[in-house]
Amino acid sequence: MKVSEYNRKISGPADKAVWMGNYDQEVGRMLPVYICEDEEQIREAERVYIEKKILIEGYDMEIVACTGSPKELLEALSGEQNRGIYFLDVELKGASMDGFELGQRIRKKDARGFLIYVTAYQELAFETFRYHLEALDYICKQVETQMYAGISHCLKVVTERMSEEKGRQQAYVTVKALDVVRHIPVDEILYFSTTGRTHRIELHTERERLDFIGSMQELEQELGSRFLRIHRGCLVNADQIAGIDGKQKEILLQNGERCTFSRSMKRKILERMSVPAVR
Amino acid sequence: MAGESYMTFWEIVCANLWSIGFQIIFMVCTMRVLLGRIPNRGRKHRLKSVMLAFFLCALLSSLGAVCYLNGIWKLKFEAGQILWEYFVVACWTFFAGFVYGIPVTVGWITVLLGEILGSYGSLLADLFAYGRSFHLDIPQERREYLFWFLVISPACMFFCLFLVRKLGKSYRQWVERENRKKSILFLISIYPVLSRLIIWMAAFCARWESENLLASLSLVFMFHLILVYVGRDEQQKERIAQQQVSLMQQNAYIEKMEKIQSEVRRFRHDFKNMMAGMYLHAEEGDLEALQDFIQEMTEDFDRQAGSQIRLMNQLANVHMTELKGLLLEKLAQMQKEEILCELEVFRPLEGTRMRTVDLCRCLGILLDNAVEEVCGKKDGCIHVMISSQEGCTTFRVKNTLYGTVDLHRLGTEGYSAKGSGRGIGLSSYRRILDKYDFVLSATIVRDGYFIQEFKIQEA
Repeated sequence: MKVSEYNRKISGPADKAVWMGNYDQEVGRMLPVYICEDEEQIREAERVYIEKKILIEGYDMEIVACTGSPKELLEALSGEQNRGIYFLDVELKGASMDGFELGQRIRKKDARGFLIYVTAYQELAFETFRYHLEALDYICKQVETQMYAGISHCLKVVTERMSEEKGRQQAYVTVKALDVVRHIPVDEILYFSTTGRTHRIELHTERERLDFIGSMQELEQELGSRFLRIHRGCLVNADQIAGIDGKQKEILLQNGERCTFSRSMKRKILERMSVPAVR
Repeated sequence: MAGESYMTFWEIVCANLWSIGFQIIFMVCTMRVLLGRIPNRGRKHRLKSVMLAFFLCALLSSLGAVCYLNGIWKLKFEAGQILWEYFVVACWTFFAGFVYGIPVTVGWITVLLGEILGSYGSLLADLFAYGRSFHLDIPQERREYLFWFLVISPACMFFCLFLVRKLGKSYRQWVERENRKKSILFLISIYPVLSRLIIWMAAFCARWESENLLASLSLVFMFHLILVYVGRDEQQKERIAQQQVSLMQQNAYIEKMEKIQSEVRRFRHDFKNMMAGMYLHAEEGDLEALQDFIQEMTEDFDRQAGSQIRLMNQLANVHMTELKGLLLEKLAQMQKEEILCELEVFRPLEGTRMRTVDLCRCLGILLDNAVEEVCGKKDGCIHVMISSQEGCTTFRVKNTLYGTVDLHRLGTEGYSAKGSGRGIGLSSYRRILDKYDFVLSATIVRDGYFIQEFKIQEA
């Protein structure tokens, strides 16, 4: 897959609430590292330390940009984008945007990059950063030794994650719930259901229940044959069906949950249960 | 009261002097009841007041006689009498203003209230002479009339005044309030016209037996009064509740500030010692020790005062009074239970599309649930995030999870992760959110945390 195609698939079409994609990992690409920090001394310290770390640990990374201005960093990103690692300052003095906004812009170009925030304040609202930007971690730069420890820990986590994902092909359903985008592995999804309210769909996994706005019909078309519309208001992951209760007109899911089906769908469900879906 | 028409000017003046003299005494008593003790402004003023009373008495008596003789009192629709009444009220208002030094409107209302009381008194007195007409030519009846006129009638009026003697205090409070109702002022002001109108209507309506305009009108009027009263009562309750919230908030704020202050004071004390130590290290050129020292100091400050300041900083971003009150209350509760709590309000929150009452209830339920789960357990922590981005506001409560939760049954009535007989909170939470088309919710169990969030689409 081409890089641009890959990125389009991840960030998705702008007008859709939900889509499906495979996030396979490209192998053998160098991970670009970006640094944005307005204090020159600290920026230099970060750069030198990361270079040293790459050399010693033999990480497959290289520093592509090291700047004090967020604009320059975004310009460096403007071309075709590979997944990158970003060390960003939260308070950028004299710049037109702060670290949060910079993160939002980066996310638009690199949906799966690793964002790491470097801050002088311990009162960083990190949950907010993690929630909106899926930031990986934050590092305190107040004390040099702490900062170095943080950087080295983050680089380690990134490489671990990369090798974990290497070669693993997993289908994801991506859901846009107003201002956040969530990627949920198809295997974990139990079913989608409509609620009483218009255009609202609930996604159920074993450990999650979340609302988003969309239409069942579009969802059914987008997700294809792995999902079965057993009822006007219910779209079930066929792999999750464990049994069928003809009397109650209910299907039984792997986790013990039950969903009502309409009579006309019974034959299809039975067919589906005897022949497992082709992945 | 036959024979009045044959009276000469002086006879009339004398009769008036008696009734107006009595009126002025009654009015002074009314003022004493309604406005309280007459302020002592020296002997001169007292003398002037008495002189003024006598002057007004004489003026009104003679003017009244003139009006009577000129036939003004017999004008159509009782216009002459109404005008005369207003003139008298104006005179008494002036008198009240002079004696008490009160604003014209207050005097005006007081005098009119006195008039109303007086008319109630005469109504009462009329009951004693109901259906009787006194023939003043017969000595026996004239004596009876005089007794009624001089004793019973004044007694009835003072009896009415006696009935309202307790109202003085609340009346004064009402008078002193800034935003007195203009409608009440108006209603009382048109009393002389209104009373005649009602009498006229009663007489008019008596002709139709089945339909009594007066009855229905008075009913409508009564309903109006009740509604106004109830409405005011509700408003007052709401205002009191709001005031309580802001009072509680201020209290909590002050408490927090005092805590921060005492911590800063303690830190200042330590800080001096640390500086002295640092100075020594610097003198010796021991850089490593100096670095250690600085690190220790920053950590120390963060531990001592930092966390409180951080919390208040985040709270300052919430610009909705009710929500702030709720958060303060819950934070105080968590602090009391010794639960570690982090609050993040990254961007200022001005308001949301959701009704504030519902918003507070929803967040309150989530916070209560989180506290209940974490309370009394080891290493529990609650994290509250309020994030207001362009076009979207997110409320997110995250707490350490100790047991397991059956997600697909959560929020249905009667099911609770905390045992049977519970689960009212989350089901009403869901019910409230269901009212809004533009609110999305999510429940997540992840990494040993239980997360509940709802998102409001603002644009």
